[in-house]
Amino acid sequence: MRVIKRYRIHAGTFAWILHRLSGLGLIFYLLLHIWVISHLSGGEESFDGIMHFFGGPLFKLAEIGLVGVIFYHMFNGLRITLIDMGVMVERQKMLFVIAVAVWLACWGASGAVMISRMISATG
Amino acid sequence: MAMITFRINRYNPDDERRGHYVQEYQLDVEKGTTLLDALNEIKWKQDGTLTFRRSCRSGICGSCAMTINGVNNLACETQVLGLGNSTVTVEPMRGYPVIKDLVVSLDPLVRGILAVKPYMITHSPPPSDQERLQSPEEREKIDGLYECILCGSCTSSCPSFWADKEYIGPHAFLKAYRFIADSRDEGSREHLEALDDRHGLWRCHTIFNCVEACPKDLNPTKAISELKKELVRRKLG
Ligand code: HEM
Ligand code: SF4
Ligand code: FES
Repeated sequence: MRVIKRYRIHAGTFAWILHRLSGLGLIFYLLLHIWVISHLSGGEESFDGIMHFFGGPLFKLAEIGLVGVIFYHMFNGLRITLIDMGVMVERQKMLFVIAVAVWLACWGASGAVMISRMISATG
Repeated sequence: MAMITFRINRYNPDDERRGHYVQEYQLDVEKGTTLLDALNEIKWKQDGTLTFRRSCRSGICGSCAMTINGVNNLACETQVLGLGNSTVTVEPMRGYPVIKDLVVSLDPLVRGILAVKPYMITHSPPPSDQERLQSPEEREKIDGLYECILCGSCTSSCPSFWADKEYIGPHAFLKAYRFIADSRDEGSREHLEALDDRHGLWRCHTIFNCVEACPKDLNPTKAISELKKELVRRKLG
């Protein structure tokens, strides 16, 4: 028998989908991170080699993206925790707006710092 | 009066070859006509094979929940002209297996509700000459909980339920909390028993579709928060 699995999207849908994607992204990053660090056991040359590979500007930009993913997961994770504790359950959309505002503010600030460091390092 | 086109999702289990299809009906609708009135008109005057559930036609039995223009609602509480469209799309409630036309199987809904023992449980003997009394303040604590008519709109809309057919479901969580919050009930442990489970509370991802979907404006997610807190309190306390 057919079952339709779909419903009109709203703030809660976005929060959830983004949370899952960011969680999976973080797992991917963590595995990558462990793999990179594991080059330490191959001696100085091996570690320097991999660090050089990930030292390029493309990966510096990706790092800014990573910071965004971490901040989203963190602030929406706190939103979920508050809801689970019964705080602002009836105003969850407002809580999502607050989480997004704090997320973008923190991401913007750290992104600006990271970009200015990139510029001063190259120039 | 306005001519409205009803696009109705249809399915006849005796005609598997045809499968699911959309059929259109036209009806002149006047102010005050509910979607249930319109469906009745179509069934009585145009097409007797159109199948849907209804009983009370006053928003109290929960039989007529369906997906109307993509949103779960009670047909008998939906003003057709209030929808503001000249075309109204009517689908069987999502998430449940379709039996025929707009009729879905509510077996998952029943399984979930029975899991939480949805009735008053008492252990102490009742007062000898009267009912178990409740103060107005105690009674107020079940506002926003007792109004549930078990229409199934909430659980129908829930992605956790789509992913797990044995998920107990927001309708049952709300009902469990309705009894736990009731000052006369002494069976909190019994109501909570089934909830601390992989098909229970912990599968809620706070997506809030249940809150969006409830035609009675109830808040199952709030009940879920209270139940989570209660379970944690019992584990730690
Ligand atoms: C920064 C602090 C963090 C907070 C506050 C946080 C919070 C949360 C919360 C509340 C959930 C449950 C979401 C739900 O019920 O749907 C969750 C899920 C998850 N988290 Fe985190 N988390 C954090 C860090 C991390 C890290 C470092 C990783 C990865 C290495 C991670 C990976 C995941 C994954 C994969 C999920 C499952 C996503 C889902 O169920 O949709 N989290 N997190
Ligand atoms: S909580 Fe609302 S949507 Fe869910 S069964 Fe009860 S009345 Fe229907
Ligand atoms: S017919 Fe009873 S709720 Fe609509």
